[in-house]
Amino acid sequence: MMRVKKMYWIAAILLAPALFMMCRKPGLFQDSGFDPRLSGGEATVFDETSKAFGHQVTGLNERDEQVHELGDGAIGATFVRAPSTLNPGLGPIFSNVSCISCHHNDGKGSPTAGLVNSSLLIRLSLPGSDNFGGPRAVEGFGTQLQDLAVFGVQPEAKIEISYTEQAFSFPDGEMVNLRKPSYNLLNPYKPLPGNFQTSPRMAPPFFGLGLLQNIPEATLLSFADENDLDGDGISGRPNYVYDPVQRKMMLGRFGLKANVATLLTQVAGAYGQDMGVTNYVFPQESSLAQTQLDALHDDPELPDSILNAAVFYIKTLAVPARRNVLDPVATQGEKIFTQIQCAVCHKPTIQTGIDLTLKTISNQRIHPYTDLLLHDMGEGLADGRPDFQANEREWKTPALWGIGLFEKTNGIPFYLHDGRARTLEEAILWHGGEAENAKQAFIQLPSSERKALIKFLKSL
Amino acid sequence: MKRFSILFFSIAIILNLSCKKNDDSSSTDFEALKDRALIDFVNVVALPGYGELKTKAATLNSKVVALDANTTEANLLAAREAWKDLRITWERCEGFLFGPVEDDEYDPETDTWPVSFNDLDSLINSSNPLGVSDIEALSQRSLKGYHPMEYILWGKNGAQTAATINERQKQYLTSLSLHLKSQAEKLFDSWAPGAGNYAQHILNAGKGSTLYPKKQDAFISILEGLLAICEEVGEGKMLEPFDAHDPAIVESPFSGNSVTDFRNNIIGAFNAYEGKFNTDGVGISELVRARNISLDNELKQNFNAAINSFNNITVPYEKAIIEQRIQCRQTMDAINELSFTLESKLRPFIVQNIID
Repeated sequence: MMRVKKMYWIAAILLAPALFMMCRKPGLFQDSGFDPRLSGGEATVFDETSKAFGHQVTGLNERDEQVHELGDGAIGATFVRAPSTLNPGLGPIFSNVSCISCHHNDGKGSPTAGLVNSSLLIRLSLPGSDNFGGPRAVEGFGTQLQDLAVFGVQPEAKIEISYTEQAFSFPDGEMVNLRKPSYNLLNPYKPLPGNFQTSPRMAPPFFGLGLLQNIPEATLLSFADENDLDGDGISGRPNYVYDPVQRKMMLGRFGLKANVATLLTQVAGAYGQDMGVTNYVFPQESSLAQTQLDALHDDPELPDSILNAAVFYIKTLAVPARRNVLDPVATQGEKIFTQIQCAVCHKPTIQTGIDLTLKTISNQRIHPYTDLLLHDMGEGLADGRPDFQANEREWKTPALWGIGLFEKTNGIPFYLHDGRARTLEEAILWHGGEAENAKQAFIQLPSSERKALIKFLKSL
Repeated sequence: MKRFSILFFSIAIILNLSCKKNDDSSSTDFEALKDRALIDFVNVVALPGYGELKTKAATLNSKVVALDANTTEANLLAAREAWKDLRITWERCEGFLFGPVEDDEYDPETDTWPVSFNDLDSLINSSNPLGVSDIEALSQRSLKGYHPMEYILWGKNGAQTAATINERQKQYLTSLSLHLKSQAEKLFDSWAPGAGNYAQHILNAGKGSTLYPKKQDAFISILEGLLAICEEVGEGKMLEPFDAHDPAIVESPFSGNSVTDFRNNIIGAFNAYEGKFNTDGVGISELVRARNISLDNELKQNFNAAINSFNNITVPYEKAIIEQRIQCRQTMDAINELSFTLESKLRPFIVQNIID
């Protein structure tokens, strides 16, 4: 009997720390216990080549692997004018012919418009909002300009992009050239109203989006500080958008202004608006009620299973691992990144929620460097076009993971929502509004520390 | 027993010493091989490959010009043969789809599939000018490159003859061939020293290249190229029409050239592995052979099995997916086995043995 009691005591002593641990407030564990290269947690891939953004997460079962492969094929498929035995449904008006034409190598692309390899489109609207609080469509043009068309059909308009170069000088005399874009819409198929608003958007990368979709809403809302109660000059607020699938207002996560709630709606919208391929989410042609509309009654043009496979493909693309994590200069840059407040919006570490269907993206400690919230980025980056609750100066914090590989995946890397920045330095110098203090702190750094910060960013 | 132990011990020391000596010299050799493999990838594989593409694209253009000037069955046949000959080189160059061919999108610009028949027919039947600049300005890549040329040279059902090819088709064909020639020239220049010089990124891998900070990065890029083309053929071009039982979605159906295309893709990958194009050089194969001869043998066996398996498909692929499904499946299996060995054995080999 004594012996049993003694065992109880020993068991109780052994269990006590565990009980204390269970009392520990939920939160992130210390960084020291984790491998900092694992940007996507288990959903990380070790590849530094141009194919780095195109790997599936590990741990998919055979069936899911097949769906992923099917989605991979769908993402690469070139659409052509219907009717066709293969990939019918392009246009009649469109921005590009396939997903990968804009999202080069599952990544970004070039800030040009109207060319076969262009990755930039223009969103349109009129002042005010629609019935769901979203952008108000321009009659005859909708909310996105299609600047290309199938043969014999007139596109809505052509986009002319021009840049004004302006020199910037650091206190130590180092010079950087910044270029500010301006956009003209040429040869509209019908007159545009005088008060239309535009917003240029360059295609963002595909990978890691399953992880971002899986971040609990409460986590994202905990980052928000809409009235800047902590007085750090940085607010951050969520966008709430109408989702046509779930038919309700939801937290926006995708799109450059967090203007779309789910991957399904994002991908379906891209098929419909970017390629003119109708689908079960958006069954109406982008040219509806326009002279370009074809007389084919073939909608939806995209098989449901293909749309679902494309969504699954994007959801299950792994994040490339960080490089040079032990490099002393990159490590110094990482500290500076935190010191000058970059990390307030570009959140280094977030825990994803539970997803019982996909273990690899479930409950992962990830390093996306985003809070998915809207921030006022100042007049320099303002597009002058609200998008649901995002005002004309606000943009969603873009994820920075993989940013150091853009040169490999895209040839020339272009940064920011419209690709105006050709280097990371330029991108930082365009920050304003809530990021003005961080930018000023960057400007005041000695050249060696600025370079250290850039080296850190290139390690992501 | 004791003497035996001493003898055994002595032999062990000798063996150990001899192994050590071998290791030293093989390390030196291995270092030299790494450099040689990168140099040969540029000078024996990529530049000769793209150089041949440029030459053959010019030949195709001259044959099309001849066809335009004198539309005979013989000239139509010559243009078709030149198209097929150019395809051999292009499909083999697809064994290393990285660098400018990918960054500057030469691949989709010249080899987009499917052809947009409706738009192509509309274009031919319209009064739209068909000069090369008009072709370059077209907003759909499915109206440019190899496959629209194939469509005109053979006709939709393979029924094109010198008598049926019309003036607008010939004009379009001529401009398409000029566009292809210009693309091939630009692609070659993008690698050539004195022009785009992408070659220097490979040659300076691990020696200051921003794209390839380590030599390993360059070798991994070559490996990714091998894997990508195996996946494209084994899990895309072959599998999709096979699974769908649909001859209408087979690539290169007008010329019936699909099986040749697929085979040349895998030959191109084998070339990149062995560091050769038309002449032999040093490739990853030699590096593997120096450290793991059985892996090199296995990979060569996988490559040869995949390439030879195409011999069993004796009809055009659009027929084969109906009539010779077992042979098609066996070929895809052979390609997938090759992919598996590349991924599960060659990748770890590169990561473990090429660390600089």
